Amino acid sequence: MRKTAMGLAASQGRCVTETAGTGVCRITTNPPFSWAWSELWKGRHLLGVFLWRDIKVRYKQTILGLGWAVLQPALGVAVFTLVFGRVAKVPTGGVPYPLFVLCGWAPWQLFARGLMRSSNSLVENQYLLTSARVPRLMLPLTGVLSAVPDFAIECLLLLIMMFGYRVRLAPEVVLRMVPFLVLALAASFAAGLFLSAVNVRYRDVGYTVPFFLQLLFFVTPVVYPGALVPSRFRWLSGLNPMANVVGGFRSVLLQSADPAVGRLVDSLWITLGFLGVACLYFRRVERSFADVV
Amino acid sequence: MSDLAIRAENLGKRYPLKQFRGSLDFRETLTCHCARVFGARHDLTMLANPVRREHWALRQASFEIRRGEVVALLGHNGAGKTTLLRILSCITEPTEGCAEIRGRVVPLLDVGAGFHGQLTGTENVYVHGAILGMKKAEIGRKFEEIVTFAGVERFLNLPIKRWSRGMCVRLAFAVAALVEADVLLVDELLDGADAEFRRKCLARILGGAVREGRTVMLVSHDLAYARQLRTREMHFAGGRIVSDLQGIHQSNPGARNPGLVALESGLK
Repeated sequence: MRKTAMGLAASQGRCVTETAGTGVCRITTNPPFSWAWSELWKGRHLLGVFLWRDIKVRYKQTILGLGWAVLQPALGVAVFTLVFGRVAKVPTGGVPYPLFVLCGWAPWQLFARGLMRSSNSLVENQYLLTSARVPRLMLPLTGVLSAVPDFAIECLLLLIMMFGYRVRLAPEVVLRMVPFLVLALAASFAAGLFLSAVNVRYRDVGYTVPFFLQLLFFVTPVVYPGALVPSRFRWLSGLNPMANVVGGFRSVLLQSADPAVGRLVDSLWITLGFLGVACLYFRRVERSFADVV
Repeated sequence: MSDLAIRAENLGKRYPLKQFRGSLDFRETLTCHCARVFGARHDLTMLANPVRREHWALRQASFEIRRGEVVALLGHNGAGKTTLLRILSCITEPTEGCAEIRGRVVPLLDVGAGFHGQLTGTENVYVHGAILGMKKAEIGRKFEEIVTFAGVERFLNLPIKRWSRGMCVRLAFAVAALVEADVLLVDELLDGADAEFRRKCLARILGGAVREGRTVMLVSHDLAYARQLRTREMHFAGGRIVSDLQGIHQSNPGARNPGLVALESGLK
């Protein structure tokens, strides 16, 4: 190996932010592939700051402010109840339709919002890519996590509604929801991470994602129960993690059996595998972000 | 050799001039496809310069910079100054060559980086500081100093989109100036500030260089101003460093800088 230019123990590979006066950062043309965990770990304080900024900015210059976070799901449930509950009379197995739909819509929105925000995160923060040194991965990660507060508000709404409909809620239910939440976030992050990197080069992503999400929304049993899906298509739900998440939420909270739940483990593996691939792809292309964006 | 801060060897950066598919606009795409339908050999690349398909923004940049040097990068637009700063701050990768930097590098390449128009001045100080690598507690400790240095106390609670550009420059620079950096890379930002603030920055930059051995690389189009604070000049033209004038004090970074002496005598 070549002697390092400064005659110091140089850290190999990708440039890593060093603390004052300790290390040497080496810049080369083709750094060997690395996950750069240390770079991420050193920039961890940014995650909090970006999340805080995101939440601060979201409802600025609005009259209703945080009210929108409540109003949006409330109006959504009202419309769905009218269209699918009253007009189309979707069978829900005795569960009141507003409760039924919110139970599926809350996790769906967690996924969809996270995916939307993270896939746009790099393009929206162009100036950070071209003139600041932040771990790029932080941006899509912030995008996904920024959907969590909205989800918390929807859960609160759900709790109030369950109380109103006198549905019993056992305390261990919260624990049983955890794997489904993990699955929703992982799926959202995997797709968001991959698409955000593609979006840097091809802005087509920005136009495709909303359409794709709308399509997936109707494929996923959100406004109708999973039992309505013909049995010959059910194996596909392993490929659509959100079918498991939505089904799981209903089966846990409303004690209704859902055919998709049995595929939770398959779905987790597929999603985590895809997340790994997305991370790998992101790491490979992030080096050229500043030149391409 | 231990007082080296930056060493660069043959740094070069090439950008393609050829348009790739995704970068064509709607009209160009239509023209292309129509032309193809009517049988014309209308290659996508025809839209770009057909002769030169690539552009070297920077080529064969080799230099060594010691701790405490204040280097002014001079040259026309497109001469490669910003590209060099981008490479040194690890924002973009060089096409050839390599470099080593010792210590914490703080790039200040754009006012916009880190500022969000909807956030107030106070909030932006925290976001910008975090992007430059400061922890929340550190920013809290230095907050007063930052605001006093920038001289923007009156506007702190106003969303930054209502600020003048000069005020934004002040705040952005104030945050960067107070980060504990070993190497500070500043693009032509200060050209947008007024004379009074630039005098303050001069003192700050030189003070940091002399007392803490902080290395500064600074792009400026104001030759008179750059000459007041630099200990070394690098002239760029067409992506190459055409001359590298090392100041008389470069051999000893602890020495009194002529600019600083002039400044202090001016204040008395």
